[in-house]
Amino acid sequence: MKDRFSTYSQAELTRRNLLLGMSALAGTAAMGGFPGRAAAQDLPLVKAYGVPTAALKDWAPMEKSIGVRCELSGASNDVGVFMRDVMGANMGDTADIFIFESGTEDILGPQGLYATLDEAHPELTLWERTSDDWKRSAVVQDRDGKQWGVPVIGNADSFGYFPEKVGIAPDSTEELSWSLMFEDEATRGRVAYGNAYTYSMGPAALYLQGKGAAQFGNIADLTAEEAKLVADFLIERKKAGQFRTLYGAFEEQIQLLTNKEVDVINCWEPAVREANLVLGPDATRYAYTKEGYFKWGHGAYIAAQAVDRGNLDAIYKVLNYFLSGEYRALQARDRGYAGPNMDLGVEYAQSSGWTAEEIEALKATEAKVAKKFAKPYVSTTTPDNAGAMEEEWQRFMNA
Amino acid sequence: MQTSASAPADDRLLPRIGQWLSTTNLVVPAILVAWFAIVIVPIIILFVYSFFSTAQFRTVYEPSLDTWIGLFESGRWEVTLRTLRIAVTVTLIELVGAFPFALWLAKGGVSKGGRAVCLALLTIPFFLDMSSRTIVWRAILGQSGLVNTVLMGTGLTDAPVEWLLYSEVAVHFGMVVSLFPPMVLPIYMAINLIDDSLIEASKDLGASPWQTLRRVILPLSLPGVMAGVVFCLGPALAAWVEPGMLGGGFVNLISNSIESAYSALRYPVVAALSAFVILLLLVLLAAMYLIARRFGDPASSFRVLRG
Repeated sequence: MKDRFSTYSQAELTRRNLLLGMSALAGTAAMGGFPGRAAAQDLPLVKAYGVPTAALKDWAPMEKSIGVRCELSGASNDVGVFMRDVMGANMGDTADIFIFESGTEDILGPQGLYATLDEAHPELTLWERTSDDWKRSAVVQDRDGKQWGVPVIGNADSFGYFPEKVGIAPDSTEELSWSLMFEDEATRGRVAYGNAYTYSMGPAALYLQGKGAAQFGNIADLTAEEAKLVADFLIERKKAGQFRTLYGAFEEQIQLLTNKEVDVINCWEPAVREANLVLGPDATRYAYTKEGYFKWGHGAYIAAQAVDRGNLDAIYKVLNYFLSGEYRALQARDRGYAGPNMDLGVEYAQSSGWTAEEIEALKATEAKVAKKFAKPYVSTTTPDNAGAMEEEWQRFMNA
Repeated sequence: MQTSASAPADDRLLPRIGQWLSTTNLVVPAILVAWFAIVIVPIIILFVYSFFSTAQFRTVYEPSLDTWIGLFESGRWEVTLRTLRIAVTVTLIELVGAFPFALWLAKGGVSKGGRAVCLALLTIPFFLDMSSRTIVWRAILGQSGLVNTVLMGTGLTDAPVEWLLYSEVAVHFGMVVSLFPPMVLPIYMAINLIDDSLIEASKDLGASPWQTLRRVILPLSLPGVMAGVVFCLGPALAAWVEPGMLGGGFVNLISNSIESAYSALRYPVVAALSAFVILLLLVLLAAMYLIARRFGDPASSFRVLRG
């Protein structure tokens, strides 16, 4: 999700950490350079372009494990970026892999800008054991089921809430209904709702489908009629006073929770963590839901031009590394996001002597992700019906 | 040494350039051509773009009325009327508040020190980030904010006053606060330039204070008023921070609507919305010019600035 007032997107949330890491690296360099850096320069190089969340704080463990160097140039997650850079500026001439949020493969794959994934490539050793929830998701396949990439990271977004306000025990893992967001009398006038159609229209459709009020072909890509149905429902709820505010930024999510301005908010999971730092542990919780989640993920895709550049083995080694336990464990620990093969991450942590607390946190993430990812729906940044959805969303905004 | 040698040369050069410019009739056409190229041409392109459409995030360069029809069918055009209504209301509120303040500051016998303090207070906000200035109001106007705490603490209300935040009232309030300096400063400058002897003469000739205000000060301050209205109305039409932060998503203005269309790469919709606002603005400015003519000659009133 991208927002308007925020200085960073969800995908870039950890950029601050990345910068901190870079500062530390710069400091190390100033103190006398990096041991082994010279050796790393001799390793085969894979150039990546995309959202920087996929980057490790330090690529050294990867270089040590697979003997390949990765250089990632950061880009924003905006739909305009890949339209402009990948299509217009032929980024594939220089980049070997692209890492974007789900949706690019639907346009750039069929147009020949991505190479299809060779699932039988000898370097892709972890592909077979990767669960279908991840590898066959719409993040890395196009609408015809063609495989364009490997999953890198992801999460399932729901809503944050105050357990005491909605009458639920703070440590409960009960699955709640999105009705708390849209129709519950107890929360009427105490709900904050994200004001971007890409982020908020889907959960409303999910709720309508869950309660049997409507059936949708693809919640992530609503047709004009479906979008109208959702907008009509939202307009009715807006007029009934369900929403206290329609927010636009990540900072607002945190502020609305910490100020206790609302009881329920569809938001990013880190907002709940940030609010609890101020309000105390478990003051707010991130919901497990009955109907499903706004599931988002980043995939890594091979540039079509890279196929003939002679470093395909190195590219597949990097893609395979994204599926590995080492990458999973480091990403989960340093950035807090999940991904495929979380069990391998736990195994890696155990064999690498991580603390019991760190291992427990990884196990909890694994269990949480397994529970959430079994439910619909996978979001996309590029719905075919974006125009109709945006138009209907504006009708809701103007109502 | 070098400066003394070059100074006379500069003295001769500047008048010669001025003389050359006045004899050749190139300046005005040059400015007009440049203006046409950098302002008018983009607006024409914008207008042309509004007759294209979008499919799968790409602009379809085939002329059609689809975008304009969609704009009216979906009711999206209403956002332009709402924006205009709020912008004009804010501008009028500013004018009503700013004119007496500027008059007092310029001709109210305020000491030099007092005037300097007032002007500093008016200009300091320009140096602060708009979002930072606006977001603090949320902590003050929110349900558990300062105002509601005081209202409930003093027993004036039993429950928090909800419309203080996330409402049109809040958006108006935020815009009035942030756009006060652009309105008051040009009016202050214009009134400050009015020769005191003109006001004295009016008084000596038996005019009441109201007559002096209406027949002397108001016509002579028109350039400042016009500038203030333009400096206030323009940013108010493009307001983005205040509706976003204080409107709570319930006050959808043109900038919010354009931003939303832009997020789906619907450039023709962006172009149509912008073109529609430009058309409405032209109508509005024409009306304003006609009204201003009743009080004086807005075009020739810039002569006062020479004084």
